[in-house]
Amino acid sequence: MANAPTLGDDLQRLEEIVRRLEDETLELETALQLFEEGVGRLKAAQARLTEAETRVRQVLDDSATGDGPLRIEPLGG
Amino acid sequence: MTALDEAWTVSRLARMIKGRVEDGAEPVWVRGELVGIKRYPSGHLYFGLRDATSKVDCTIWRGVASRLRTELIEGAEVFALGMASVWEERTSLRFTVTQVLPAAAVGAQAQSVERVKQALLADGLLDPARKRPLPAFAARVVVITSVAGAVVHDIITVARRRWPSVELLVVNSAVQGETAPAELVRALHIVSRLDAIDCCIIGRGGGGKDDLAAFNDEAVCRAIAASPVPVISAVGHEVDVTLADLVADVRAATPSQAAEFALPDRHDVAVRVAGLHTALNRALRNLVTARRARMDRTRDRIGAALLDQLRRSERRLLTVQARLAPALSRAVDTRRSKLARLTAQLHALSPVAVLGRGYSLARAGDGRLLRQVADLPAGTAFTLTVADGAVAARVED
Repeated sequence: MANAPTLGDDLQRLEEIVRRLEDETLELETALQLFEEGVGRLKAAQARLTEAETRVRQVLDDSATGDGPLRIEPLGG
Repeated sequence: MTALDEAWTVSRLARMIKGRVEDGAEPVWVRGELVGIKRYPSGHLYFGLRDATSKVDCTIWRGVASRLRTELIEGAEVFALGMASVWEERTSLRFTVTQVLPAAAVGAQAQSVERVKQALLADGLLDPARKRPLPAFAARVVVITSVAGAVVHDIITVARRRWPSVELLVVNSAVQGETAPAELVRALHIVSRLDAIDCCIIGRGGGGKDDLAAFNDEAVCRAIAASPVPVISAVGHEVDVTLADLVADVRAATPSQAAEFALPDRHDVAVRVAGLHTALNRALRNLVTARRARMDRTRDRIGAALLDQLRRSERRLLTVQARLAPALSRAVDTRRSKLARLTAQLHALSPVAVLGRGYSLARAGDGRLLRQVADLPAGTAFTLTVADGAVAARVED
């Protein structure tokens, strides 16, 4: 998850891909590769948009200073 | 002015006055001296607020009076929060008070806030240049608040509407009362230990409670300033700006507004994604079309060049041919006249020409010339060639 591109990354890259495809001197082979990458990123972005359930969890730490082991549990659980 | 037959009733006049005073009125803080304090058996409190030139009658209703922490002392200087209202029965104007703070205490608190503000300012923590932008597409947002309050619920509601894929992490903390500053500092410390957090909302609900001291606390403000992730303050007061608001990267009036700042609207993002989808397809189509046109142009150019070259070669050939033909015929003529000359010379030397002068040639049947009498014994058959032809002959006995 940490290494996966974020939605922001995907959208930014897509904009770059469109910009590059607008350059008519681009090799056709490169253009097709860029286009395929763009389609992949579009799908990822659309998937992010359709994720429906907001997860809410509580971060707990039993120490007084907040330096103890952290636990992440369902809120109210 | 109205006519007599349109005269108002007294109650209509009273209602009009009440409306003028109360409609659209908002609570205001008034500073003044307490005079004529009376506590009625019903529990309601009546007193006056006075300054050098004016006096206003005030009421504190029983419900508020029982929870009032400030003791009302005759002659004391106070801040009173209230709204002007009209008691319709007598059309008497009252300032209905919901909160009283001793001016001396308020002054001390304000002084302390000012001192903290100067300290933060001196350390550059209020510098607008320190403010960090919020992430465009938050995936993980922390909320520091009291789980007993409505803040978490408000934020979840906004998240479900705007950006449901977000993960919300709640860190519980008192947001008012004596323990609040230490708990808020602890919560901010916990946030700094979490990974992959996009931003942090620190807040409390509204509800008219006015204990904002924790959000003016120096340690809390410094902990906010030290946060590794952008902080949105949502202290729940439109009017009072706390020092936490000044230190935070973004100030929101309410927790709901904080969530709106923190999260994109999925409809906006969907529009952007759809736009990119279209742009991507169009870009490729344009590229292919442009490429095809370029190929056509190239092919045309090559064709034209070849044709041009062919024509040039043809022209050159014709020119060469034109020059070549007269040269050739001149050469032929020269040779032809030479031939005629040689023919004439040859003719002059020909034995046939000698025959024309009366000589004749005798040849044997095998073509051998018969030159001597010995070649011609009697009875020999031979051919005699004269100028215009040959005849057969025989030597007589």
